[in-house]
Amino acid sequence: MTMYTKPLPDPTIETKPFWDYCKKHELRMQKCAQCGHIRFPPGIVCPKCHSMEAEWVKLSGKGKIFSFVIFHYVYNKAFKDDVPYASASIELDEGPRMMSNIIGCKLEDIKINMPVEVHFEDITGEFALPKFKPELKNRGKNLKPTAEV
Amino acid sequence: MESLKNKVAIVGVGYTPQGRIPGRTAMSFHVEAARNAIEDAGLKITDVDGMLTQPPGGDTRIAPWNIAQQLGLRLRFGSQQSAMGASAGCMVLHAAAALIYGLADYVVCTYGESPLGGGSGPGTYGGGRGDNAAFGFYGASGGYALAAQRGIYEFKTGPETWSEIAVAQRKWANLNPMAMMHDRTMTDEDYYNSRMIVEPFRQYDICQVSDSGRAFVMTTAERARDCRHRPVYVMGVGQDHPSTDIVQADFMTGPIGAKVSGEEAFRMAGVTLKDIDACEIYDCFTYTVELSMMGYGFFGPGEGKAFFANGRTAPGGELPVNTSGGLLSEAYQMGFTLLTEAAVQLQGRAGERQLGPVTRTKEPEIMLVSGNGGVLTTHSTVILRR
Repeated sequence: MTMYTKPLPDPTIETKPFWDYCKKHELRMQKCAQCGHIRFPPGIVCPKCHSMEAEWVKLSGKGKIFSFVIFHYVYNKAFKDDVPYASASIELDEGPRMMSNIIGCKLEDIKINMPVEVHFEDITGEFALPKFKPELKNRGKNLKPTAEV
Repeated sequence: MESLKNKVAIVGVGYTPQGRIPGRTAMSFHVEAARNAIEDAGLKITDVDGMLTQPPGGDTRIAPWNIAQQLGLRLRFGSQQSAMGASAGCMVLHAAAALIYGLADYVVCTYGESPLGGGSGPGTYGGGRGDNAAFGFYGASGGYALAAQRGIYEFKTGPETWSEIAVAQRKWANLNPMAMMHDRTMTDEDYYNSRMIVEPFRQYDICQVSDSGRAFVMTTAERARDCRHRPVYVMGVGQDHPSTDIVQADFMTGPIGAKVSGEEAFRMAGVTLKDIDACEIYDCFTYTVELSMMGYGFFGPGEGKAFFANGRTAPGGELPVNTSGGLLSEAYQMGFTLLTEAAVQLQGRAGERQLGPVTRTKEPEIMLVSGNGGVLTTHSTVILRR
């Protein structure tokens, strides 16, 4: 395995549980114990009701693409062999939105509202990145998975 | 709130060399711009007793007290302040409050940075944002492009609209000897041929950065009458900060803070859109201009292409926008580029690009200045009159 040279997640006290669960290939976010709102990014209070009680609940890992961009310019040379690649705001079925990458399909096939599901990539011994692929049932002729994206 | 209308004025602007300028610190641009603005207003060093400073990239060393030391000033009122691209407009409001309540007589507001020459390395523009860097999501370009892609999906905007904005602004820059793009024309074809940076943005959708500074001086309407140049009065101001990261934002396609901050500023000024003779609209990206002008109500979602068509906002057009070339084609001093341009236009000091007969446009009495920061996160609106 070659050395992983891209930037790693930079956990804070608030975001560390998220990344720890990712390492176990679980997508979990905080659910407010008072009003049930699921929030992201992680934080100490619920932005809907200001309760400070929350539980890290396991999410389905399914969602859809809210919006996306395709990077052609190399902002960090660690990505120079990856361009062009897609970064996206994923709207999870449970509500919250998160930044991720779209993998497993051609860039020209990426569309807003396309259903996607999480796929964890183990990048180092410490971290796994939650990336998203088109849902299996939607990977038709036009959505051929590529070997490595 | 008590109205600020016509109680304070901009009385001086300060420029510095701008472009790729090695051998200069960001601090030196703040100091030089402030010096020139004080001189422009016709003030003595001892007159100035207030300063607001926007530190580039959150550099806490660039603060009013450090700048004041280099200029030999003693301050009664001073603060670092950053609402990113909305800062200049926010400073107008805060300086106005200080002046009206007698906390200062003359307030100088400063900006400067040197990202190209290496005198400051804020890394703001290409830097990853938190965990986003792990997903290769970089720069302000990534954030605004994310919003723009959603705009294409929801209301069919896109390069056909954005090219009009970029080309019109370049025509203004071609009339401005200070503009970094003064000597370079841009056609529609040039726009489409510029390389993809972060799809859907091409290079010409994205503003430049520059080594430079910019400053302006404000005082009360009463004191303004004794300054060197014609005062530019503040008619109305407003702020609105949607305050959500763009990944989670519900305003990728508007309404952004232009709407609420604009309503506040127009109410205070007692004018309507029809009274606006020209606009200076924060233009970190072409799409920012479109969303901001939508927010003010100049046109509805999807109507941008028709609005900007046929050079409406270019020299000779009926509603000039970003008459210095703006951030896209003049230089990047955040909101200071736009605010100071409105001031010199209203003072009639804009030379070849002066609104009025010189550019076959209406002589301006009232102008709108829009500031936007973060990724559509903050917004300020200022309405100025001569």
